[in-house]
Amino acid sequence: MDCIEDIFESSLKLEETHFKDGYDEGHADGLISGKEEGRQVGLKTGFEIGEELGFYRGCVDVWNSAARVDPNFISVRIQKTIKQMDELLHSYPILEPEKESGSDMIDALRLKFRAICASLNMKLEYNGYPKTSDVEF
Amino acid sequence: MNFADENFELREVQKLEGHTDRVWSLAWKPTTGVDGAPAVLASCSGDKTVRIWEQSSATGSFQCKAVLEDTHNRTVRSCAWSPSGKLLATASFDATTAIWEDVGGDFTCVSTLEGHENEVKSVSWNASGSLLATCGRDKSVWIWEVLPHNEFDCVSVLQGHTQDVKMVQWHPSMDILFSCSYDNTIKVWAEDGGNDDWHCVQTLNESSSGHTSTVWALSFNASGDKMVSCSDDLTIKIWGADIMSMQSGDENAPWTHLCTLSGYHDRTIFSVHWSREGIICTGAADDAIRLFVESEESVADGPMYKLLTKKEKAHDMDVNAVLWSSTGNKLLASASDDGTVKIWELGSSSGQKKLQL
Repeated sequence: MDCIEDIFESSLKLEETHFKDGYDEGHADGLISGKEEGRQVGLKTGFEIGEELGFYRGCVDVWNSAARVDPNFISVRIQKTIKQMDELLHSYPILEPEKESGSDMIDALRLKFRAICASLNMKLEYNGYPKTSDVEF
Repeated sequence: MNFADENFELREVQKLEGHTDRVWSLAWKPTTGVDGAPAVLASCSGDKTVRIWEQSSATGSFQCKAVLEDTHNRTVRSCAWSPSGKLLATASFDATTAIWEDVGGDFTCVSTLEGHENEVKSVSWNASGSLLATCGRDKSVWIWEVLPHNEFDCVSVLQGHTQDVKMVQWHPSMDILFSCSYDNTIKVWAEDGGNDDWHCVQTLNESSSGHTSTVWALSFNASGDKMVSCSDDLTIKIWGADIMSMQSGDENAPWTHLCTLSGYHDRTIFSVHWSREGIICTGAADDAIRLFVESEESVADGPMYKLLTKKEKAHDMDVNAVLWSSTGNKLLASASDDGTVKIWELGSSSGQKKLQL
């Protein structure tokens, strides 16, 4: 009796074996392409955030220089907002991408940037600058 | 005043024609229509212009005194006079808000506020005229400070609504800002300390017995302790707050739902305005104008309101705006998709005498 069971065992387990082989292969492939995709998204998002932060850094530096040359050029209120942007840019957790405070700080930077530009009557942006209306239907 | 004994009706006094597209919004000029100063009304339109109408002291009829054009290149959606009546702010779908100075009936555009990404939907001055608020399709609410020489500083850009913001309105006596939106909510904004630190202190949504569809407009009663809002959900809602504690410094006294008036409208309610005498007026997509007053049956746990009168076919198309004159003449103005502005007076339907409020 034992002998007969052994004969059929391999064919009984055929489906299970194929399933396991397929799973292992898929898992290995998934690991590779998942990692690659993650890398690409990370590169893209990282670049985008870096680009935006760098853009603000540049604007704040120019405004600060302008304010030093002509203190009346920018009102006290706007100078204060520029300083707040400066501080946000300094404390942004660039090397801790998983820190949630980062996205709050980007939001705050965007609002302050809009307020400064409006008061100075300037339209500053770069190709790809995020707009809230992009997601509007 | 007593609304119990008589029947009232709205009588059309005059139809103002001139706009070549739908009329969106209206603003009675403060300090006019009283003490011998002829009443002045501004109307703005899809025809990209603003018209200034003045009542003749001789005949009592309104005439177009000025057309403000060639500044906005798209629909002018909203207009508001500064409390002194010297400046008129106009918000446009062209993403700008223009400030006009009235020098003896000649209007000059003295400033243009840019900042919104797209359509500006509403503009409002605070009680002292030192602050201006705007809102729009980019979901943001902006606060501007009025500086000397027609300069404007952006005080704050407020993000919180998740959809198109339809209207901004300052409280009639305190520097608290209200906004209502396509996201079905009303948001209350206040400053924390004197530090330009404006933020949302309250959101009136479905869980606070609020509206279940777009909130189009809101208005305050004369004392500022009640607010009325109107919506695409076919209801108007009355809200109340403890104004005494607000005035004593606690600006965050919350607004609570007092009552809902439903069953009176079967199309979107676009506009609501509370007169100084306590009459709530609505303008709706069914072309009708309705008036409501507090009912004598109001109970201890909250006021109740009843329909005073309804004017069917007030306009040929949607009624976009209704606005009571704040001065002695008790006139009501309405604006419509049919391109006209109408002036109404409220009287008792039994006699021809004008209602003495």
